Amino acid sequence: MIGIAVAAFALFCGLPLAYMLAQSGTTGATYAALLLDARQRALLYNTAALGTGTALLATLIGAPLGLALARVVVPFKPALRIALAAPVLLPPYVTGLAWVYLGGSAGIVASVMGRDVISEWTYSLPGAILVLSLVFYPLSMLATEVAMRRVETRLEEAALVVASPGRVLRRITLPLVAPSVAAAALVIFVLAVSEFGVPGLLRVRVFTTEVFTAFAALYDFSRATILTLPLLGLSILVAAVAALLVGERLVVTRRGLGSAQLIAFEGWSGRASAAAACVLAIALVAPLAVLTREALAVPSVAAVVQGSREAIGNSLTLAALGATVVTLIAVWLGYARARARRRFGVVADVLFVVLFAVPSTVVGVGLIGVWNRAGVFGRLYGTDGMLLLVYLARFLPVAALALAAGIRYVPTSHEEAAAVGGAGWWRTMIRIVLPQVKLALLATWILVFILAFGELGASILVAPPGEATLPIRIYTIIANAPPAHVAALALLQSVVVLSPLVLLAFVMTAWRTR
Amino acid sequence: MSLPFLRLGSVTKRYGHRTAVDDVSLDVHVGESVVILGPSGCGKTTVLRLIAGLERPDMGEIWLDGRVVAQAGRNLSPPHERRLGYVFQDLALWPHLTVGESLDFVMGSAAVPRTERAKRTREILTLVRIDTLADRHPHELSGGEQQRAALARALVGRPQLLLLDEPFSSLDPDLRKTLRAELDSLQHALELTTVYVTHDREDAAALANRIVEMRQGGITTVREIAREKRRS
Repeated sequence: MIGIAVAAFALFCGLPLAYMLAQSGTTGATYAALLLDARQRALLYNTAALGTGTALLATLIGAPLGLALARVVVPFKPALRIALAAPVLLPPYVTGLAWVYLGGSAGIVASVMGRDVISEWTYSLPGAILVLSLVFYPLSMLATEVAMRRVETRLEEAALVVASPGRVLRRITLPLVAPSVAAAALVIFVLAVSEFGVPGLLRVRVFTTEVFTAFAALYDFSRATILTLPLLGLSILVAAVAALLVGERLVVTRRGLGSAQLIAFEGWSGRASAAAACVLAIALVAPLAVLTREALAVPSVAAVVQGSREAIGNSLTLAALGATVVTLIAVWLGYARARARRRFGVVADVLFVVLFAVPSTVVGVGLIGVWNRAGVFGRLYGTDGMLLLVYLARFLPVAALALAAGIRYVPTSHEEAAAVGGAGWWRTMIRIVLPQVKLALLATWILVFILAFGELGASILVAPPGEATLPIRIYTIIANAPPAHVAALALLQSVVVLSPLVLLAFVMTAWRTR
Repeated sequence: MSLPFLRLGSVTKRYGHRTAVDDVSLDVHVGESVVILGPSGCGKTTVLRLIAGLERPDMGEIWLDGRVVAQAGRNLSPPHERRLGYVFQDLALWPHLTVGESLDFVMGSAAVPRTERAKRTREILTLVRIDTLADRHPHELSGGEQQRAALARALVGRPQLLLLDEPFSSLDPDLRKTLRAELDSLQHALELTTVYVTHDREDAAALANRIVEMRQGGITTVREIAREKRRS
């Protein structure tokens, strides 16, 4: 079973990447020419600035929130955590769209002020950095909180006996969580430079949008391939550094850390709650409110839904199917990773993180390179099956990581006890191991469903002609449909993404208390 | 009789429905060494945490040096303003700081001038016999050295009260004996006021002026140990 899973992993995730890497060897000369002209340098600058700016701003927003969640008493913390994490699950272009409606040349701000004062900022590099930071800050927040929970509170107490809480935070706590915070920042950097929807929407020229233009507008496949290579190299490098920074901690977490709320930080309750409310208002409530306001102008919701019925149905089916297939394969990969020896485990983690970091446009181009040919492979090309391949290529690594973390909690002694009792391997897995990770399985399925449902960057390249999925439909009609129509679809997209999250929250509460 | 340096007046601490410390009263005078003896889970560690201000008493009062520092549900003075040294059971040495840097952090927090810090670091490390190890990180130290480093960290700020929570519990018996003797002579040399928590009767007999036995959150017996007998 593990063998099959590894083979599937190599085929679906490894092959497209290997294809792209092989391409880089054969296109050296053209590559140099392409990279050296001024246009390319501007592209490189924009991409690097977008990544760095987003990583910094998202960390600036996310890390203090993670700290507050880990150490300060705030009301309704479990619900607050989920709400604060929600923006990262909204497809970035949906958030971007909301900001365009708010700050664009015909946006709400312009109509209230009576003239266009901020659209210049909305459609700019800083605008894109702001939007992406509001999308990606939860990653920094969650990474910081997990890292904080892993720090023995005793270490902070030993310092609190002699130093003020602020000084303890600066000199003891922060240095101890710094590797995790830095790793999260690097991952955010990679995700930001890989993002296609937001820079495309805000007309910021970066590698991803350039690849899309080369491919979709100019039909220049080799140019598109060459353009993805710097992006690929950068992503792999940064992701590998991030994975190594975090090391074993990615999968191993200590359980039952108890209440880590120190009474020394009690005085910060008010400030922490206010900050959380502010971020929530800007990152989640405002975009949804703006979309709702726009969508209300639509004459008939039914007509909008009817018009995109095929895309909506397609998206739901494909995302559900994708989530199921990915989870079924990832569970074996996760098991293999969880039971791996230390050294091999770190290698596997780096591999998973690196593969997850491969930009969606690169995955798209790689998949086309591999599958767009005569013979057996070509049979799949031009069908919805390509979208399943996108989901497998992009989300198998992250699903495997999530499940490995879950399976690590099941002690090996449970399996040994079952084996001694006469149960075979298969029976042990089904009856002993998997039931103990059902929450992780469900969470992984939902995570992949949400990611797949919002996938745009690779889908838009490989999807068969026509309106294959909802994100593609939304992205293609932005230019020529009335804003209300687009907003209604984006809102629908958000609802579909956020409702499983609410469901997950309920299930988690129910299973925990039982 | 002079006013006690530390006074716990009918202190009670609850966690949910469980009462960890139940109506405990205790006076400690300057220069005294009080050992709180009891089985694990009897609430002795919680008493130390209450004195340090890491927990809040639900009822009762805590006085330190003539001032109320905690009172029925409120901490009036935060831990770092109580001028304490605390040696934790698991030592809680900061993994990212060397021994010297740890001491520097403590002295910096107490606003000791930079010019004086190096001298004091040397002094205290000599006192606990690890004067060559200032540049080591905790993981580069042996168990006994870690113990000494923790003690140095607790003493370098010149605390008015030293709290020790089973500091020798993880050591082998020989080393334990050595360190116990060292701590005893330190107490006398520096005229420390200490509250020491342990489940080990030998520790208690070797270090205490007074042994306070605790069981299920309450004090059961108090025994004075004659100073001369203890010194022998």
